[in-house]
Amino acid sequence: MDLRLPSKVLEHIFSFVDSNEDRNSVSLVCKSWFETERLTRKRVFVRNCYAVTPAAVARRFPGMRSLTLKGKPHFADYNLVPDGWGGYAWPWIEAMAEKSPSLEELRLKRMVVTDECLEKIAASFKDFKVLVLTSCEGFSTDGLAAIAVACRNLTELELRECIVEDLGGDWLSYFPETLTSLVSLDFSCLDSEVKLSDLERLVSRSPNLKSLKLNRAVSLHALGSLLCLAPQLVELGTGSFSDKLDQEAVSKLAQVFTELKELKSLSGLWDVLPEYIPLLYSVCPGLTSLNLSYATVQMPDLVELLSRCSNLQKLWVMDLIEDKGLEVVASSCKELRELRVFPSGADVDETNVALTEQGLVYVSEACPNLESVLYFCAQFTNAALVTIAKNRPNLKCFRLCVIEPFASDHETHQPLDEGFKAIVESCKDLQRLSVSGLLTDKAFEHIGRHGKKLKMLSIAFAGDSDLMLHHLLSGCESLNKLEIRDCPFGDTALLENAAKLETMRSLWMSSCGVSFGACKLLSEKMPKLNVEVIDEHSPETRPDSSPVEKIYIYRTVAGPRMDMPEFVWTKHKNPEIGVSHLAIE
Amino acid sequence: MENSNSYSPYSSSSVDSTKPSPSESSVNLSLSLTFPSTSSQRETSQDWPPIKPRLRDTLKGLRLRQRGYHRALFVKVYMEGVPIGRKLDLSTFSSYESLLENLSHMFDTSVICGKRDIKHHVLTYQDKDGDWMMVGDIPWDMFLETVRRLKITRPERC
Repeated sequence: MDLRLPSKVLEHIFSFVDSNEDRNSVSLVCKSWFETERLTRKRVFVRNCYAVTPAAVARRFPGMRSLTLKGKPHFADYNLVPDGWGGYAWPWIEAMAEKSPSLEELRLKRMVVTDECLEKIAASFKDFKVLVLTSCEGFSTDGLAAIAVACRNLTELELRECIVEDLGGDWLSYFPETLTSLVSLDFSCLDSEVKLSDLERLVSRSPNLKSLKLNRAVSLHALGSLLCLAPQLVELGTGSFSDKLDQEAVSKLAQVFTELKELKSLSGLWDVLPEYIPLLYSVCPGLTSLNLSYATVQMPDLVELLSRCSNLQKLWVMDLIEDKGLEVVASSCKELRELRVFPSGADVDETNVALTEQGLVYVSEACPNLESVLYFCAQFTNAALVTIAKNRPNLKCFRLCVIEPFASDHETHQPLDEGFKAIVESCKDLQRLSVSGLLTDKAFEHIGRHGKKLKMLSIAFAGDSDLMLHHLLSGCESLNKLEIRDCPFGDTALLENAAKLETMRSLWMSSCGVSFGACKLLSEKMPKLNVEVIDEHSPETRPDSSPVEKIYIYRTVAGPRMDMPEFVWTKHKNPEIGVSHLAIE
Repeated sequence: MENSNSYSPYSSSSVDSTKPSPSESSVNLSLSLTFPSTSSQRETSQDWPPIKPRLRDTLKGLRLRQRGYHRALFVKVYMEGVPIGRKLDLSTFSSYESLLENLSHMFDTSVICGKRDIKHHVLTYQDKDGDWMMVGDIPWDMFLETVRRLKITRPERC
């Protein structure tokens, strides 16, 4: 008796399976399910662009409409990955242009995107709709012009924190008069001024525009006229908020803000002057997301603003908010889910003392839905960590950066082991953790024992020995991404737990004690991993026992990559460096 | 664990037998651990604390403005063809416009930023890498961090 469901039925059932995690599970059931699933998958997410080849992805998912790719490792955000390492978008775009010309959406993160790439997209995908580039680099405003002019059905163009060669603001003027489909435009990372009249015309002919994020060069004056044309905005990123306006202009602007009835998210606010903060009061009650990372105002002004944001769910702010300000947030923003507090002093010695661990304690006490935290602070205590853990067992993401490396509990002078132990013990669903301050191997023993749901872990300046790495690799069952810098190990731990590395997406270690010899051994032992040694000073001229600068290890079915620069060493690229007794052929 | 020794992760009092041999590795490691990270050639650390580049640049500007006193930033200014230069405190200007206005006054001619022009004098600067660049491309705060000297070029030469 043939128990197989006809593929049409399967297709219909699978159309209800949305998440890629579920689709991945579905595809493992049997061959016919695999086939039906792959032919019907529309959204493909490749979390490491070197884990699989573009050709393989194109072959497997012929119906692909949306592709999301991630390139460089996370620590590239902090300048730890040298220029030229890789993460090129070109091979992917080239392959998709050939095999999936119906591609409509492309989302790239930490990849090198050139003008050629953008031109190729513009020329190849007739129904292209969405381009979102996050932390990408390698292109200029000329490439943007190519997209603007050619993509007739463009709905989203977002440049989030990209490094763009800015040749001027002309690119915006290339959007044709016939383009009326725009829903989201984000050019906040560009420096040049765009032509205001062209921007105004674009906004007026985009009735579906919901999200507009301007760059710093757009003046406050210009903002006023733009908002008149788009009162339906849900997300707004202002430009510079510091021009001197006359009284009439100010009241006009205030009026315009009261018309923004749908506004949920506000960002930008560069250099906002205190006297302009009241302009924002009318939108505060409706806001669910507020990004004040660039708003360099002091605590009293921040408090005036935040006390009116009763529905706020996401707050990004500088430590200028101080403990006092966070106390107000705690009492006013009961719906808060995500809090990020950034350091206003860019150097180690310039941290703002009025923000301490107490600020975070207040928020953890009063905000029942708080589940994601990123907190930069000069100092911390175990007691505070224990309290936070007790208050908020529902934390999913906890990233604490005590700015001074090796800083101990500033009251007891103990390591912060006990504090982080409380966090991992109490927060059973914790998926992402960044630790800092003075930490011994014991802290990692606790993390290994309790951090069972932990997927991503970031460590800097911590631990005493290889035991630290061993605890993590042998204990954290769900560990997917591990990134470590400036920690004193770990040949032994790495080799002992080599098999674990195949169950993880990637491991990054820089300025640690991993030797060249260990890397070679690991390469031999684990053929399904790419073991990359990133070292600008030829490691093969040094003894095997000498530590290498950086290593990046990731599982892959694509084999060795073809685009490695000089300073990246792998067994495949440099076969002469293979372990001698195995180099038989 | 003893407090007094715990600040140095390489203290020999650690009893862990899996620790790598101290002789070679600790020498290299202690060098790399003089934070901020030494992997960058720049003077200030570009990778600690871990914040993204755009935020880091914004904060640099903020720091300059927050200083109660105005730290003077004197740079030499030369007009091409004129051997004797002038000195100018850039910290007294808040933007490119005010700088250009002042220079035009100081050198009694029209000085502009941007595209080369057969009529006007164009302002260029030497950055901290030693390269000569057009003034006006980068945000003012970033410019203050990197400028070392100024040169006003003659119209024909550009």
